[in-house]
Amino acid sequence: MDALGINLPGLVTQLVSFAILFAVLWMLLYKPISKAMGDRSKKIQDSLEAADKAREEVNSSKEAMEKQIAESRAEGQKMIANAKDIADKFKEEELAKAREEINAEKQRAEADIQRERDAAIDGLRREFASIVVDAAEKIVEKSIDKSQHTDLIDTVVKESAVLRKDK
Amino acid sequence: MKLLKKPKLLIAIIVFGSLFIVGLAGGGLGDAFGLGFLGAPLAALQLPAEPISSEPNIGGFHITNTMITTWITIGILLILGFVASRKIKEVPSGFQNLFEVIIEYFQKLGVGVSGKRSAQYIPLVLTIFLFILISNWIGILPGFGTIGWIEDPHLAIHHAEKKDKELSKVKLNIFNGSGNVGVLGFGSVSETVTAEEWEHDHSIVEDGKQAGILIPFLRSANTDINTTLAIALVAMFFVHFWALRTLGFFSHATKYINFKQGPIWFAVGILELISEVGRVISFTFRLFGNIFAGEVLLFAMAFLIPIIGIMPFLGLELFVGLIQAYVFSMLTLVFASVAGAAHDDH
Repeated sequence: MDALGINLPGLVTQLVSFAILFAVLWMLLYKPISKAMGDRSKKIQDSLEAADKAREEVNSSKEAMEKQIAESRAEGQKMIANAKDIADKFKEEELAKAREEINAEKQRAEADIQRERDAAIDGLRREFASIVVDAAEKIVEKSIDKSQHTDLIDTVVKESAVLRKDK
Repeated sequence: MKLLKKPKLLIAIIVFGSLFIVGLAGGGLGDAFGLGFLGAPLAALQLPAEPISSEPNIGGFHITNTMITTWITIGILLILGFVASRKIKEVPSGFQNLFEVIIEYFQKLGVGVSGKRSAQYIPLVLTIFLFILISNWIGILPGFGTIGWIEDPHLAIHHAEKKDKELSKVKLNIFNGSGNVGVLGFGSVSETVTAEEWEHDHSIVEDGKQAGILIPFLRSANTDINTTLAIALVAMFFVHFWALRTLGFFSHATKYINFKQGPIWFAVGILELISEVGRVISFTFRLFGNIFAGEVLLFAMAFLIPIIGIMPFLGLELFVGLIQAYVFSMLTLVFASVAGAAHDDH
Protein backbone atom coordinates (compact mmCIF):
# COMPACT_ATOMS: atom_id res chain seq x y z
CA MET A 1 0.00 0.00 0.00
CA ASP A 2 2.70 2.41 0.97
CA ALA A 3 4.79 1.54 -2.08
CA LEU A 4 1.81 2.32 -4.29
CA GLY A 5 1.36 5.59 -2.49
CA ILE A 6 -2.05 4.81 -1.05
CA ASN A 7 -2.40 6.55 2.30
CA LEU A 8 -5.37 7.58 4.35
CA PRO A 9 -4.83 11.35 4.41
CA GLY A 10 -4.32 11.43 0.66
CA LEU A 11 -7.32 9.23 -0.02
CA VAL A 12 -9.58 11.19 2.31
CA THR A 13 -8.46 14.49 0.80
CA GLN A 14 -9.19 13.25 -2.71
CA LEU A 15 -12.53 11.77 -1.63
CA VAL A 16 -13.63 15.00 0.01
CA SER A 17 -12.38 17.10 -2.91
CA PHE A 18 -14.18 14.95 -5.43
CA ALA A 19 -17.36 14.85 -3.38
CA ILE A 20 -17.34 18.64 -3.10
CA LEU A 21 -16.74 18.96 -6.84
CA PHE A 22 -19.61 16.53 -7.47
CA ALA A 23 -22.03 18.43 -5.25
CA VAL A 24 -21.08 21.86 -6.56
CA LEU A 25 -21.07 20.85 -10.24
CA TRP A 26 -24.43 19.21 -9.74
CA MET A 27 -25.95 22.34 -8.27
CA LEU A 28 -24.01 24.90 -10.29
CA LEU A 29 -23.77 23.27 -13.70
CA TYR A 30 -25.99 20.27 -14.16
CA LYS A 31 -29.21 21.55 -12.60
CA PRO A 32 -29.55 24.92 -14.37
CA ILE A 33 -28.33 23.64 -17.72
CA SER A 34 -30.46 20.51 -17.79
CA LYS A 35 -33.39 22.64 -16.64
CA ALA A 36 -32.75 25.08 -19.50
CA MET A 37 -32.54 22.16 -21.91
CA GLY A 38 -35.78 20.68 -20.61
CA ASP A 39 -37.52 24.05 -20.78
CA ARG A 40 -36.30 24.60 -24.31
CA SER A 41 -37.40 21.21 -25.58
CA LYS A 42 -40.78 21.72 -23.91
CA LYS A 43 -41.09 25.14 -25.51
CA ILE A 44 -40.20 23.78 -28.94
CA GLN A 45 -42.73 21.00 -28.55
CA ASP A 46 -45.38 23.45 -27.40
CA SER A 47 -44.79 25.79 -30.29
CA LEU A 48 -44.85 22.91 -32.76
CA GLU A 49 -48.16 21.79 -31.33
CA ALA A 50 -49.48 25.35 -31.46
CA ALA A 51 -48.39 25.63 -35.08
CA ASP A 52 -50.18 22.39 -35.92
CA LYS A 53 -53.29 23.61 -34.17
CA ALA A 54 -53.17 26.95 -35.97
CA ARG A 55 -52.76 25.19 -39.31
CA GLU A 56 -55.75 23.00 -38.55
CA GLU A 57 -57.78 26.03 -37.56
CA VAL A 58 -56.86 27.83 -40.74
CA ASN A 59 -57.76 24.78 -42.76
CA SER A 60 -61.13 24.36 -41.07
CA SER A 61 -61.98 28.05 -41.31
CA LYS A 62 -61.00 28.01 -44.97
CA GLU A 63 -63.35 25.09 -45.51
CA ALA A 64 -66.13 26.90 -43.69
CA MET A 65 -65.50 30.02 -45.74
CA GLU A 66 -65.59 28.09 -48.99
CA LYS A 67 -68.78 26.41 -47.90
CA GLN A 68 -70.30 29.78 -47.06
CA ILE A 69 -69.22 31.25 -50.36
CA ALA A 70 -70.78 28.33 -52.22
CA GLU A 71 -73.94 28.71 -50.17
CA SER A 72 -74.28 32.38 -50.85
CA ARG A 73 -73.55 31.87 -54.52
CA ALA A 74 -76.33 29.28 -54.70
CA GLU A 75 -78.63 31.60 -52.82
CA GLY A 76 -77.82 34.45 -55.17
CA GLN A 77 -78.54 32.27 -58.15
CA LYS A 78 -81.81 31.22 -56.60
CA MET A 79 -82.71 34.85 -56.02
CA ILE A 80 -81.85 35.76 -59.59
CA ALA A 81 -83.94 32.87 -60.85
CA ASN A 82 -86.83 33.97 -58.62
CA ALA A 83 -86.57 37.51 -59.87
CA LYS A 84 -86.54 36.26 -63.44
CA ASP A 85 -89.65 34.19 -62.79
CA ILE A 86 -91.43 37.13 -61.25
CA ALA A 87 -90.37 39.34 -64.12
CA ASP A 88 -91.59 36.76 -66.66
CA LYS A 89 -94.88 36.40 -64.90
CA PHE A 90 -95.25 40.14 -64.67
CA LYS A 91 -94.42 40.53 -68.34
CA GLU A 92 -96.96 37.93 -69.35
CA GLU A 93 -99.62 39.48 -67.19
CA GLU A 94 -98.92 42.90 -68.61
CA LEU A 95 -98.88 41.50 -72.10
CA ALA A 96 -102.19 39.75 -71.57
CA LYS A 97 -103.68 42.86 -70.09
CA ALA A 98 -102.46 44.94 -72.99
CA ARG A 99 -103.78 42.44 -75.45
CA GLU A 100 -107.15 42.49 -73.73
CA GLU A 101 -107.26 46.24 -73.74
CA ILE A 102 -106.35 46.31 -77.37
CA ASN A 103 -109.11 43.83 -78.11
CA ALA A 104 -111.60 45.85 -76.12
CA GLU A 105 -110.52 48.98 -77.93
CA LYS A 106 -110.82 47.23 -81.23
CA GLN A 107 -114.30 45.97 -80.46
CA ARG A 108 -115.37 49.40 -79.35
CA ALA A 109 -113.99 50.87 -82.51
CA GLU A 110 -115.76 48.28 -84.60
CA ALA A 111 -119.00 48.98 -82.79
CA ASP A 112 -118.53 52.69 -83.37
CA ILE A 113 -117.86 52.13 -87.03
CA GLN A 114 -120.94 49.95 -87.32
CA ARG A 115 -123.10 52.57 -85.62
CA GLU A 116 -121.70 55.33 -87.76
CA ARG A 117 -122.30 53.30 -90.83
CA ASP A 118 -125.88 52.47 -89.78
CA ALA A 119 -126.51 56.10 -89.02
CA ALA A 120 -125.05 57.10 -92.36
CA ILE A 121 -127.16 54.53 -94.20
CA ASP A 122 -130.26 55.67 -92.31
CA GLY A 123 -129.61 59.26 -93.19
CA LEU A 124 -128.87 58.38 -96.73
CA ARG A 125 -132.06 56.38 -96.99
CA ARG A 126 -134.06 59.12 -95.46
CA GLU A 127 -132.61 61.64 -97.83
CA PHE A 128 -133.03 59.32 -100.73
CA ALA A 129 -136.67 58.75 -99.80
CA SER A 130 -137.36 62.46 -99.61
CA ILE A 131 -135.54 62.96 -102.88
CA VAL A 132 -137.59 60.16 -104.39
CA VAL A 133 -140.76 61.63 -102.92
CA ASP A 134 -139.83 65.01 -104.22
CA ALA A 135 -139.04 63.59 -107.58
CA ALA A 136 -142.17 61.51 -107.68
CA GLU A 137 -144.30 64.43 -106.55
CA LYS A 138 -142.84 66.43 -109.29
CA ILE A 139 -143.35 63.67 -111.89
CA VAL A 140 -146.81 62.52 -110.88
CA GLU A 141 -148.19 65.68 -109.25
CA LYS A 142 -151.34 65.61 -111.00
CA SER A 143 -152.14 61.93 -111.83
CA ILE A 144 -151.69 60.18 -108.66
CA ASP A 145 -153.70 60.63 -105.51
CA LYS A 146 -152.56 60.44 -102.04
CA SER A 147 -153.01 56.64 -101.48
CA GLN A 148 -151.35 55.66 -104.70
CA HIS A 149 -148.64 57.99 -103.77
CA THR A 150 -147.91 56.25 -100.46
CA ASP A 151 -147.90 52.77 -101.99
CA LEU A 152 -145.42 53.79 -104.50
CA ILE A 153 -143.13 55.18 -101.88
CA ASP A 154 -143.27 52.00 -99.86
CA THR A 155 -142.36 49.93 -102.86
CA VAL A 156 -139.47 52.10 -103.58
CA VAL A 157 -138.34 51.95 -99.92
CA LYS A 158 -138.60 48.19 -99.89
CA GLU A 159 -136.66 47.90 -103.04
CA SER A 160 -134.02 50.11 -101.55
CA ALA A 161 -133.99 47.93 -98.42
CA VAL A 162 -133.48 44.87 -100.54
CA LEU A 163 -130.83 46.68 -102.31
CA ARG A 164 -129.10 47.48 -99.04
CA LYS A 165 -129.22 43.96 -97.88
CA ASP A 166 -127.68 42.72 -101.09
CA LYS A 167 -124.82 44.93 -100.55
CA MET B 1 10.06 18.51 -57.11
CA LYS B 2 6.65 19.12 -55.74
CA LEU B 3 8.20 20.24 -52.47
CA LEU B 4 10.10 23.05 -54.19
CA LYS B 5 6.82 24.60 -55.24
CA LYS B 6 5.67 24.83 -51.66
CA PRO B 7 8.30 26.88 -49.82
CA LYS B 8 6.37 26.90 -46.53
CA LEU B 9 6.26 23.13 -46.40
CA LEU B 10 9.92 22.91 -47.32
CA ILE B 11 10.88 25.37 -44.57
CA ALA B 12 8.80 23.46 -42.06
CA ILE B 13 10.46 20.19 -43.00
CA ILE B 14 13.92 21.73 -42.73
CA VAL B 15 13.19 23.33 -39.37
CA PHE B 16 11.64 20.24 -37.87
CA GLY B 17 14.33 18.02 -39.35
CA SER B 18 17.16 20.06 -37.93
CA LEU B 19 15.43 20.33 -34.57
CA PHE B 20 15.07 16.57 -34.59
CA ILE B 21 18.75 16.09 -35.37
CA VAL B 22 19.79 18.62 -32.71
CA GLY B 23 17.47 16.96 -30.18
CA LEU B 24 18.68 13.50 -31.09
CA ALA B 25 22.32 14.44 -30.76
CA GLY B 26 21.99 16.71 -27.74
CA GLY B 27 19.53 14.63 -25.75
CA GLY B 28 19.74 11.48 -23.71
CA LEU B 29 20.32 9.31 -26.77
CA GLY B 30 23.26 11.45 -27.91
CA ASP B 31 24.61 11.41 -24.38
CA ALA B 32 25.26 7.70 -24.73
CA PHE B 33 27.60 8.51 -27.65
CA GLY B 34 29.40 11.31 -25.90
CA LEU B 35 27.30 14.18 -27.23
CA GLY B 36 24.33 15.20 -25.13
CA PHE B 37 25.18 18.91 -25.18
CA LEU B 38 21.62 19.95 -24.32
CA GLY B 39 22.03 18.43 -20.87
CA ALA B 40 18.50 17.05 -20.65
CA PRO B 41 17.92 15.67 -17.15
CA LEU B 42 15.81 12.62 -16.41
CA ALA B 43 13.22 13.25 -13.75
CA ALA B 44 13.11 10.92 -10.78
CA LEU B 45 9.68 9.35 -11.08
CA GLN B 46 8.08 7.51 -8.24
CA LEU B 47 4.66 6.02 -7.68
CA PRO B 48 3.52 7.86 -4.54
CA ALA B 49 2.59 11.50 -4.84
CA GLU B 50 5.26 13.76 -3.43
CA PRO B 51 4.69 16.40 -0.76
CA ILE B 52 5.12 19.97 -1.95
CA SER B 53 7.49 20.89 0.87
CA SER B 54 9.89 19.13 3.17
CA GLU B 55 7.91 20.09 6.28
CA PRO B 56 4.30 19.06 6.91
CA ASN B 57 1.92 21.87 5.99
CA ILE B 58 -1.02 21.77 8.36
CA GLY B 59 -0.86 19.85 11.60
CA GLY B 60 1.43 17.08 10.41
CA PHE B 61 -0.42 16.76 7.13
CA HIS B 62 1.54 16.72 3.89
CA ILE B 63 -0.10 18.44 0.99
CA THR B 64 1.00 16.52 -2.11
CA ASN B 65 1.50 17.77 -5.64
CA THR B 66 -1.41 15.69 -6.93
CA MET B 67 -3.71 17.36 -4.40
CA ILE B 68 -2.64 20.73 -5.77
CA THR B 69 -3.51 19.57 -9.29
CA THR B 70 -6.82 18.19 -8.06
CA TRP B 71 -7.70 21.54 -6.54
CA ILE B 72 -6.60 23.42 -9.66
CA THR B 73 -8.81 21.10 -11.72
CA ILE B 74 -11.72 21.68 -9.36
CA GLY B 75 -11.10 25.42 -9.56
CA ILE B 76 -11.09 25.37 -13.35
CA LEU B 77 -14.29 23.33 -13.44
CA LEU B 78 -16.03 25.58 -10.95
CA ILE B 79 -15.06 28.67 -12.94
CA LEU B 80 -16.21 27.04 -16.19
CA GLY B 81 -19.41 25.90 -14.53
CA PHE B 82 -20.02 29.36 -13.13
CA VAL B 83 -19.36 31.04 -16.47
CA ALA B 84 -21.59 28.55 -18.26
CA SER B 85 -24.54 28.78 -15.90
CA ARG B 86 -24.28 32.43 -14.85
CA LYS B 87 -26.50 33.62 -17.66
CA ILE B 88 -28.62 30.79 -18.93
CA LYS B 89 -29.79 31.74 -22.39
CA GLU B 90 -32.56 30.22 -24.38
CA VAL B 91 -30.35 30.16 -27.43
CA PRO B 92 -27.16 28.71 -25.95
CA SER B 93 -23.70 29.89 -26.84
CA GLY B 94 -20.17 29.55 -25.51
CA PHE B 95 -19.61 27.34 -22.50
CA GLN B 96 -23.33 26.80 -21.97
CA ASN B 97 -23.44 25.29 -25.42
CA LEU B 98 -20.37 23.14 -24.72
CA PHE B 99 -21.77 21.75 -21.49
CA GLU B 100 -25.18 21.23 -23.05
CA VAL B 101 -23.56 19.10 -25.74
CA ILE B 102 -21.74 17.01 -23.13
CA ILE B 103 -24.80 16.66 -20.87
CA GLU B 104 -27.06 15.77 -23.76
CA TYR B 105 -24.53 13.21 -25.01
CA PHE B 106 -24.50 11.44 -21.65
CA GLN B 107 -28.26 11.71 -21.29
CA LYS B 108 -28.77 10.01 -24.64
CA LEU B 109 -26.16 7.42 -23.79
CA GLY B 110 -27.87 6.80 -20.45
CA VAL B 111 -31.29 6.45 -22.03
CA GLY B 112 -29.80 3.96 -24.48
CA VAL B 113 -28.21 1.94 -21.69
CA SER B 114 -30.88 1.94 -19.01
CA GLY B 115 -33.85 3.98 -20.17
CA LYS B 116 -35.58 6.50 -17.93
CA ARG B 117 -33.74 5.26 -14.85
CA SER B 118 -30.54 6.83 -16.17
CA ALA B 119 -31.54 10.43 -15.37
CA GLN B 120 -30.28 10.08 -11.78
CA TYR B 121 -26.87 8.78 -12.95
CA ILE B 122 -26.01 11.71 -15.20
CA PRO B 123 -24.71 14.29 -12.66
CA LEU B 124 -22.08 11.90 -11.31
CA VAL B 125 -21.16 10.56 -14.73
CA LEU B 126 -20.75 14.13 -15.93
CA THR B 127 -18.61 15.08 -12.94
CA ILE B 128 -16.36 12.04 -13.40
CA PHE B 129 -15.93 12.77 -17.08
CA LEU B 130 -15.15 16.46 -16.63
CA PHE B 131 -12.81 15.95 -13.67
CA ILE B 132 -10.75 13.19 -15.29
CA LEU B 133 -10.65 14.99 -18.63
CA ILE B 134 -9.52 18.34 -17.27
CA SER B 135 -7.02 16.87 -14.80
CA ASN B 136 -5.51 14.67 -17.53
CA TRP B 137 -5.28 17.57 -19.94
CA ILE B 138 -3.75 20.08 -17.56
CA GLY B 139 -1.36 17.34 -16.44
CA ILE B 140 0.55 17.52 -19.70
CA LEU B 141 1.02 21.28 -19.60
CA PRO B 142 4.59 22.55 -19.36
CA GLY B 143 5.69 23.03 -15.76
CA PHE B 144 4.05 19.83 -14.55
CA GLY B 145 6.79 17.64 -13.16
CA THR B 146 9.58 20.04 -14.07
CA ILE B 147 9.25 22.85 -11.53
CA GLY B 148 9.60 21.99 -7.88
CA TRP B 149 11.60 22.13 -4.70
CA ILE B 150 14.96 20.43 -4.40
CA GLU B 151 15.00 17.68 -1.82
CA ASP B 152 18.12 17.66 0.28
CA PRO B 153 20.33 14.57 -0.16
CA HIS B 154 20.06 13.82 3.57
CA LEU B 155 16.30 13.72 3.31
CA ALA B 156 16.42 11.69 0.10
CA ILE B 157 18.69 9.13 1.76
CA HIS B 158 16.46 9.06 4.82
CA HIS B 159 13.42 8.34 2.64
CA ALA B 160 15.29 5.71 0.66
CA GLU B 161 16.42 3.93 3.81
CA LYS B 162 12.86 3.93 5.11
CA LYS B 163 11.81 2.09 1.96
CA ASP B 164 14.77 -0.33 2.11
CA LYS B 165 16.05 1.03 -1.17
CA GLU B 166 19.71 0.58 -2.05
CA LEU B 167 21.61 3.86 -1.99
CA SER B 168 23.46 2.99 -5.17
CA LYS B 169 20.13 3.08 -6.98
CA VAL B 170 19.08 6.49 -5.64
CA LYS B 171 20.16 9.04 -8.21
CA LEU B 172 20.83 12.62 -7.20
CA ASN B 173 20.85 15.38 -9.74
CA ILE B 174 23.46 18.08 -9.30
CA PHE B 175 21.74 21.41 -9.90
CA ASN B 176 23.56 24.47 -11.09
CA GLY B 177 23.02 27.23 -8.55
CA SER B 178 21.57 27.15 -5.08
CA GLY B 179 18.11 27.85 -3.72
CA ASN B 180 15.14 25.78 -2.75
CA VAL B 181 13.24 25.95 -6.01
CA GLY B 182 14.62 24.20 -9.06
CA VAL B 183 13.65 23.70 -12.67
CA LEU B 184 14.30 20.58 -14.65
CA GLY B 185 15.50 21.78 -18.04
CA PHE B 186 18.33 22.16 -20.46
CA GLY B 187 21.52 22.90 -18.60
CA SER B 188 19.87 23.13 -15.19
CA VAL B 189 21.43 19.82 -14.22
CA SER B 190 25.14 19.34 -14.79
CA GLU B 191 25.44 15.69 -13.87
CA THR B 192 23.97 12.87 -11.87
CA VAL B 193 25.51 11.04 -8.95
CA THR B 194 24.18 8.19 -6.87
CA ALA B 195 23.38 8.71 -3.22
CA GLU B 196 26.04 6.20 -2.31
CA GLU B 197 28.73 8.26 -4.02
CA TRP B 198 27.49 11.40 -2.33
CA GLU B 199 27.44 9.77 1.10
CA HIS B 200 30.97 8.56 0.51
CA ASP B 201 32.31 11.95 -0.48
CA HIS B 202 30.30 15.15 -0.07
CA SER B 203 32.89 17.14 -2.00
CA ILE B 204 31.76 15.46 -5.18
CA VAL B 205 29.46 18.48 -5.50
CA GLU B 206 31.35 21.57 -6.59
CA ASP B 207 30.88 24.95 -4.96
CA GLY B 208 27.86 26.87 -6.20
CA LYS B 209 26.04 23.67 -7.07
CA GLN B 210 23.82 21.43 -5.01
CA ALA B 211 22.85 17.80 -5.09
CA GLY B 212 19.30 16.70 -4.60
CA ILE B 213 16.10 15.37 -6.11
CA LEU B 214 13.60 17.67 -7.74
CA ILE B 215 10.19 17.21 -6.21
CA PRO B 216 7.67 18.81 -8.58
CA PHE B 217 5.00 21.15 -7.25
CA LEU B 218 2.53 19.94 -9.82
CA ARG B 219 1.85 16.43 -11.00
CA SER B 220 -1.05 15.06 -13.02
CA ALA B 221 -3.77 14.21 -10.50
CA ASN B 222 -4.47 10.76 -11.88
CA THR B 223 -0.86 9.63 -11.49
CA ASP B 224 -1.76 9.29 -7.82
CA ILE B 225 -3.64 6.12 -6.87
CA ASN B 226 -5.38 8.03 -4.08
CA THR B 227 -7.15 10.16 -6.68
CA THR B 228 -8.24 7.31 -8.92
CA LEU B 229 -9.24 5.17 -5.95
CA ALA B 230 -11.28 8.05 -4.54
CA ILE B 231 -13.17 8.47 -7.82
CA ALA B 232 -13.66 4.71 -8.10
CA LEU B 233 -14.99 4.51 -4.53
CA VAL B 234 -17.40 7.40 -5.07
CA ALA B 235 -18.55 5.84 -8.34
CA MET B 236 -19.15 2.39 -6.83
CA PHE B 237 -20.75 3.90 -3.73
CA PHE B 238 -23.30 5.65 -5.91
CA VAL B 239 -23.77 2.60 -8.13
CA HIS B 240 -24.89 0.64 -5.06
CA PHE B 241 -26.80 3.58 -3.61
CA TRP B 242 -28.85 3.87 -6.81
CA ALA B 243 -29.33 0.10 -6.95
CA LEU B 244 -30.63 0.12 -3.36
CA ARG B 245 -32.96 2.97 -4.14
CA THR B 246 -34.29 1.32 -7.29
CA LEU B 247 -34.54 -2.28 -6.10
CA GLY B 248 -34.87 -1.98 -2.35
CA PHE B 249 -32.48 -3.40 0.22
CA PHE B 250 -33.54 -7.03 0.12
CA SER B 251 -33.62 -7.38 -3.61
CA HIS B 252 -30.19 -5.81 -3.98
CA ALA B 253 -28.55 -7.67 -1.09
CA THR B 254 -29.71 -11.09 -2.27
CA LYS B 255 -27.61 -10.62 -5.40
CA TYR B 256 -24.59 -11.15 -3.18
CA ILE B 257 -25.82 -13.27 -0.29
CA ASN B 258 -28.31 -15.77 -1.58
CA PHE B 259 -29.40 -18.72 0.60
CA LYS B 260 -32.71 -19.47 -0.98
CA GLN B 261 -31.74 -20.96 -4.33
CA GLY B 262 -29.18 -23.46 -3.14
CA PRO B 263 -25.42 -23.60 -2.81
CA ILE B 264 -24.63 -22.77 -6.45
CA TRP B 265 -26.42 -19.46 -6.26
CA PHE B 266 -24.74 -18.78 -2.94
CA ALA B 267 -21.36 -19.25 -4.64
CA VAL B 268 -22.47 -17.03 -7.52
CA GLY B 269 -23.36 -14.36 -4.99
CA ILE B 270 -19.93 -14.56 -3.41
CA LEU B 271 -18.34 -14.29 -6.86
CA GLU B 272 -20.46 -11.22 -7.54
CA LEU B 273 -19.22 -9.72 -4.30
CA ILE B 274 -15.61 -10.35 -5.32
CA SER B 275 -16.24 -8.88 -8.77
CA GLU B 276 -17.56 -5.72 -7.15
CA VAL B 277 -14.20 -5.33 -5.40
CA GLY B 278 -12.55 -6.16 -8.71
CA ARG B 279 -14.44 -3.34 -10.35
CA VAL B 280 -13.08 -0.82 -7.88
CA ILE B 281 -9.56 -2.11 -8.47
CA SER B 282 -9.89 -2.16 -12.25
CA PHE B 283 -11.36 1.37 -12.19
CA THR B 284 -8.46 2.56 -10.06
CA PHE B 285 -5.62 0.95 -11.91
CA ARG B 286 -6.89 1.44 -15.44
CA LEU B 287 -6.95 5.20 -15.04
CA PHE B 288 -3.81 5.36 -12.91
CA GLY B 289 -1.87 3.03 -15.20
CA ASN B 290 -2.73 4.86 -18.38
CA ILE B 291 -1.97 8.31 -17.09
CA PHE B 292 1.13 7.31 -15.17
CA ALA B 293 2.47 5.44 -18.19
CA GLY B 294 1.78 8.52 -20.29
CA GLU B 295 3.72 10.63 -17.83
CA VAL B 296 6.66 8.23 -17.95
CA LEU B 297 6.51 8.21 -21.74
CA LEU B 298 6.54 12.00 -21.91
CA PHE B 299 9.47 12.25 -19.49
CA ALA B 300 11.38 9.57 -21.38
CA MET B 301 10.81 11.21 -24.75
CA ALA B 302 11.71 14.64 -23.36
CA PHE B 303 14.91 13.09 -22.06
CA LEU B 304 15.81 11.01 -25.12
CA ILE B 305 14.98 13.49 -27.89
CA PRO B 306 14.55 16.92 -26.34
CA ILE B 307 12.64 19.79 -27.99
CA ILE B 308 10.75 17.79 -30.57
CA GLY B 309 10.52 14.16 -29.50
CA ILE B 310 7.68 14.90 -27.10
CA MET B 311 5.35 16.47 -29.66
CA PRO B 312 3.56 13.43 -31.13
CA PHE B 313 3.22 11.99 -27.65
CA LEU B 314 1.59 15.14 -26.33
CA GLY B 315 -1.10 14.60 -28.97
CA LEU B 316 -1.33 10.96 -27.94
CA GLU B 317 -1.71 11.94 -24.28
CA LEU B 318 -4.52 14.38 -25.14
CA PHE B 319 -6.28 11.47 -26.80
CA VAL B 320 -5.57 9.04 -23.97
CA GLY B 321 -6.80 11.59 -21.43
CA LEU B 322 -10.09 11.94 -23.29
CA ILE B 323 -10.49 8.19 -23.78
CA GLN B 324 -9.81 7.43 -20.12
CA ALA B 325 -12.32 10.07 -18.99
CA TYR B 326 -14.88 8.61 -21.37
CA VAL B 327 -14.20 5.01 -20.34
CA PHE B 328 -14.45 5.78 -16.63
CA SER B 329 -17.73 7.69 -16.95
CA MET B 330 -19.17 5.19 -19.42
CA LEU B 331 -18.33 2.23 -17.17
CA THR B 332 -19.91 4.00 -14.20
CA LEU B 333 -23.07 4.38 -16.27
CA VAL B 334 -23.00 0.73 -17.34
CA PHE B 335 -22.31 -0.59 -13.83
CA ALA B 336 -25.10 1.57 -12.45
CA SER B 337 -27.44 0.29 -15.13
CA VAL B 338 -26.51 -3.36 -14.50
CA ALA B 339 -26.72 -3.02 -10.70
CA GLY B 340 -30.07 -1.25 -10.99
CA ALA B 341 -31.56 -4.02 -13.14
CA ALA B 342 -33.77 -6.43 -11.23
CA HIS B 343 -32.73 -10.03 -10.45
CA ASP B 344 -34.83 -11.77 -13.01
CA ASP B 345 -34.24 -9.22 -15.71
CA HIS B 346 -31.93 -11.48 -17.66
